[in-house]
Amino acid sequence: MGLLEPLNLLLGLSLAALVAIYLRARARPTITVSSLELFAEAAAPVARSRTLRVDALFWLEAAALTALTLAAAGFYLREPKPASRVVREALVFDLGAAMNARESDTSRLDAARQAALALIDSAPAGREFSVIGYALDAQLIRAAAGRGAELRSAILALTPVAVAPRPAALSAALIDANGAAKIDLFTDHQPAPELLRDARAHAAVAIHLIGGPVENLALVSLDPGTPKSSQGHALIRNFSARAQPCELVIDAAGREVFHSTLILDPRAAAMVGFGPLAQGGMVRARIMTADGLSADNERYALAPSVAPARALVVSPDNATRDDLARILLAVNPAYRVTVVDTTPAALSSLAGQKFDLAVIHDFSGAAIDAAARFVIFPPPANGESGRVVGSSIAQAELRGRAGAPPLATPVTLGPTRALALPAWMEPLALGGVAGDPSSFVLAGIGRTPGGSNAVIGFDVRNHLLLDPDRLDALLLTIDTLRLLAAPTDARVVATGDFVPVATFAPATLLTPSGARSQLIPDRSGRVRFRAVEAGRYALQSGKKTTTIYANYYDAGESDLAMAPGADTPAAHMAHMIEAAGMHRESQVVQQTTPLAALVILLLLLESVLLARRSARWGVSHV
Amino acid sequence: MLEQRAFEAEFLRKLDGLVLSATRARTRRAGRRVIGRAQGAGIEPENYREYAAGDDLRFLDWNALARLDDLTIRTFRADRHVEVSVLLDASASMGIPERDDKFGLARLLGAGLAYVAMSKNDPVRLAAFGRRASAAGLETTRFYRRQESYVELRPFVTGLAAGGETRMAAAVGTLLNERRAPGMVFVISDFLVAAADYETALADLSAAHHEVKVVHVMGTKEMAGDYPPGAYRIRDCESGATREVTLGPAAAAACRARATAHANRVRAFCASRGITYAEAFGAEAADEIILREFPRLGGLI
Repeated sequence: MGLLEPLNLLLGLSLAALVAIYLRARARPTITVSSLELFAEAAAPVARSRTLRVDALFWLEAAALTALTLAAAGFYLREPKPASRVVREALVFDLGAAMNARESDTSRLDAARQAALALIDSAPAGREFSVIGYALDAQLIRAAAGRGAELRSAILALTPVAVAPRPAALSAALIDANGAAKIDLFTDHQPAPELLRDARAHAAVAIHLIGGPVENLALVSLDPGTPKSSQGHALIRNFSARAQPCELVIDAAGREVFHSTLILDPRAAAMVGFGPLAQGGMVRARIMTADGLSADNERYALAPSVAPARALVVSPDNATRDDLARILLAVNPAYRVTVVDTTPAALSSLAGQKFDLAVIHDFSGAAIDAAARFVIFPPPANGESGRVVGSSIAQAELRGRAGAPPLATPVTLGPTRALALPAWMEPLALGGVAGDPSSFVLAGIGRTPGGSNAVIGFDVRNHLLLDPDRLDALLLTIDTLRLLAAPTDARVVATGDFVPVATFAPATLLTPSGARSQLIPDRSGRVRFRAVEAGRYALQSGKKTTTIYANYYDAGESDLAMAPGADTPAAHMAHMIEAAGMHRESQVVQQTTPLAALVILLLLLESVLLARRSARWGVSHV
Repeated sequence: MLEQRAFEAEFLRKLDGLVLSATRARTRRAGRRVIGRAQGAGIEPENYREYAAGDDLRFLDWNALARLDDLTIRTFRADRHVEVSVLLDASASMGIPERDDKFGLARLLGAGLAYVAMSKNDPVRLAAFGRRASAAGLETTRFYRRQESYVELRPFVTGLAAGGETRMAAAVGTLLNERRAPGMVFVISDFLVAAADYETALADLSAAHHEVKVVHVMGTKEMAGDYPPGAYRIRDCESGATREVTLGPAAAAACRARATAHANRVRAFCASRGITYAEAFGAEAADEIILREFPRLGGLI
């Protein structure tokens, strides 16, 4: 605007100052008194004062000066812009699990597709559309171009994934849409306003809230229990506002162990017990009742094997050996645990023996023959190159475990060795030194052709694993033990996780939806993929097949009963935003100096006439 | 500000030796300052007497009944303390004109009266009313009994600020709703409010058998109405109402007359209700006011 230029701004300010001086001169001093009653008998002034005195001559002069100032600064009006200009629009689709929810015969994504296609059909000429999807991350599916068949096929090819959409992915999608004059966001959840703030700075954002309330049941968790020992449990949740029947079937190793129909209270959860199972292996729970979302109706868990297995615990510390043996038996009662110290005499008794799992504390134990090795607090002079950094830390803290949210309060640990994992190992936990923001690896696991290996860097002496204030250290140890004891040909993961599998050769991945893809191993022999569909993945490498079961559950996505409908205030607001955006883009500015000059001439003419008359009347305010 | 003097040693020395005499409240409830003989609500046993019909069975001596088969009533000495409440007007008018420091004078006098009352270990509290005081219209301290606790009144006294409208009747209503035993109530205000409001307030206090004492605070400049001659817009600090007036010598004389008439009206109402009235006009004469008016309020040496 012209008034932002220094000279024009000075003109405008001087005009405001002129009016302020006039009003000040006309004003009457005001005093505050404790009570008007004390001045009840004071006479009123002869002339009444008014803040805005009607002084035609002054206000006409002020209007003339205002018009002059605006003319000097540039007087602007808005008029419709030329229709030939190309306008880019971005169609951003939520591809989270809830978009796969079905209402009658169509899914929410189908409804979003229809809304987008209708929008494209009704758009004026000169529009270009880009298509962006987001769930775990943002993906530019189609760059801005015309509205041909390619655009429609890109929209029709969108597929939801069995994960909850992340706010960061939405932010990234909106960044991808940078440059678009308008962003149409198709989602079933009202996004947080702060996520849209930056996008609204450069584009009109229209939120299309898709879907209405849908009844849904979900399998929240599945615990197989311990075969022949303790019951397993499945937790089911009803997200509907009405009581719902739920037919639940649980299979273990191909045999049905539970089949019953439950009635779940509105918005309630129910814990179902089953077993104890007769043997270990894969356990599958299914909700057979039809509901809104199918991804959360199936869940897998791996029951520990009941076959006898030999485990060895080696530690120089007597109490630590006892702790580790107890934890081993708690993880799998089928272990037959041998406990030895690190003296040569004790170790010599192990010669010729082979163990399924060796837990080695503060000892190198290179001579121990075991299919899986779990090294805790490895000595600095470890012969296995690259696993251990020589530096020891007197006191470290555990900050987070893989697959769990960062700890709100770090767990204080004792003596610790910072680990530098070889490429074939995956980190399982991160730690650091109190007061130092930098982190290092505290635990890792990996597999070589020789067997599975895991390592934990902190010392577990002084009953650290049994300290209730340091429960996360125990959980990390138990999780690591379970991973080591798990069969190598079957795994259970959560959707959205990166799944590394040591195949040592190229592999073919078969997804739950039937798609096939080729995976090439890295230098450590591992292939990786991201499980974005719930269900069974098969990874075939040579003659060996590894089965990966992906579980999906997210309370926010599964709660389909709370989805906003089209008549909610949020949807109304979306339409308002859209309308405002369309208005904004359809206008441009144009200078209209001739009109301003005409107004100024008329005002000056009238003020001159009034000045002549006022001179005759003796008016002297101005 | 004047209220700061309330906690200076020199000021307190002047008050040492003064005793607050109570008449109405003590005699109606528990006798004079001497030990009461009526059945009191205290805890100190006084005597035994034979049971008479209508006596409270809670005071029956059950041990004597068991041993002697005789109905005997235990009597207790009455609580001889008189609760003293000092009500400060903290409305906006108390802060205008600022140079008069009416509110400082009111707080100085209120604190001084509290100090004197504490000399005999009577429970004393300060209370302030004004729209901003609290939702109930009244902000009070807890009761203090000993002069050693006097300094604990300091945050309340120095922390008060004048503001809001005068709602004396509402504040008194809140005070009476506490249903406490009748005691002594000092009301310190400029009474620049509708006559019906302060008359209702004072009448209610008297009706509740409180011994009511009024300190009427006014400012010198306020009563003089002395402003440079000219046309002004005057604004009521509480209601915000404005008027346009011409001020000068004639208006000042009229203002003085109105202020005197206002004081006379308050004084006459107090006289008609048996309420002790004391005037405190001008903060600059604070020492003189204490010497002259405190005895009138019951401060005896």
